[in-house]
Amino acid sequence: MRIQNAQRVSEAIQTLSAGTSLDTLVDRLYDLTDGALALDRATLHRIARGKTQVARAIDSPEECIRLYFALMILGCERELSVTSIVDEGHAVLAGFVGEPLASLIFRDLAATLPKLTDRYTLREYLEEGLRVWLPT
Amino acid sequence: MATDVISGRPRAESHTLRAEEERLRAHLERQLRVRTRFAPLGEVRALLVSPDREDRPKSLVVSSSTSIAERIYLYVHVAAHIALGHHLPLVTIVEGAPGVTRFSDVARHREAEDLARAIWWGQTDKGGLLGAPALVQRSAMLRRLLAVGITRSALRSVLIGMRHAYYDLHIERALARSRLTAWLRDALCLTAVVYVAPQLSDMTVSRG
Repeated sequence: MRIQNAQRVSEAIQTLSAGTSLDTLVDRLYDLTDGALALDRATLHRIARGKTQVARAIDSPEECIRLYFALMILGCERELSVTSIVDEGHAVLAGFVGEPLASLIFRDLAATLPKLTDRYTLREYLEEGLRVWLPT
Repeated sequence: MATDVISGRPRAESHTLRAEEERLRAHLERQLRVRTRFAPLGEVRALLVSPDREDRPKSLVVSSSTSIAERIYLYVHVAAHIALGHHLPLVTIVEGAPGVTRFSDVARHREAEDLARAIWWGQTDKGGLLGAPALVQRSAMLRRLLAVGITRSALRSVLIGMRHAYYDLHIERALARSRLTAWLRDALCLTAVVYVAPQLSDMTVSRG
């Protein structure tokens, strides 16, 4: 899948990782996705640095969505504001997947967020989102 | 959406109630592919997170502060949402705190409450597997008593009192296998659930 805006995706990843080193970030992403993320370390580094327009290892929308949920969980762990987590998560997903699937997810997120009153509950929601998209 | 539940709890959760909760949870997993787990969730009572396709598993997170009776109600309510297709495509259903009306999807919640009530009293054609315990599910007398707040509370008190007497008098060996005891156990289970979720009774108090 081609990244639509590599620079914006890179900025979003930097914001969500809140100063974490790239190696730590990648390790945590693999932890969160139980090793189900098919992206190799070098590709993730290149995406995070905005050095690639084509992420060849990402070959399905599900893979992008896993990365999206995992990055947003990372944002929760770094105690970013809910607004920041959602905005940056939006930028990551919009940079990867086609509009039909992305709009479904954004619509669910937009409808669900006002009902979640704290970052802990937001994280539970994101973790479940990630589980639902992991291979069974 | 806000679930309407009353937080008063009996002094101990009965084994029947626990067994019923496990049965319904297993049924959700087997028949509806809903995986359940428990977590502390602020004001939210439960979250049902669904994928974009019906054939994939769904995740239900239930607040760890809910009582067993509340969980039973939530399972029936969530099953009703699923039967109505409210979870697709990729829609997360949030069950709010008791009595809180702040969500916009009130109409869907009411639809689910109506169907949950029909499921609970065995009025659907699914074999009553998600409904109240079989022995008492079709009891018109219980249903009438549970429809009114005062008789609902009184019935619950009487059944809990009988349960205490049953154990205090050490008569469980003599009566454990009797049909009357089985009926009373199921009646207490049903009453406990309707007590925390009166909208399951015929007194319609559905609120979003």
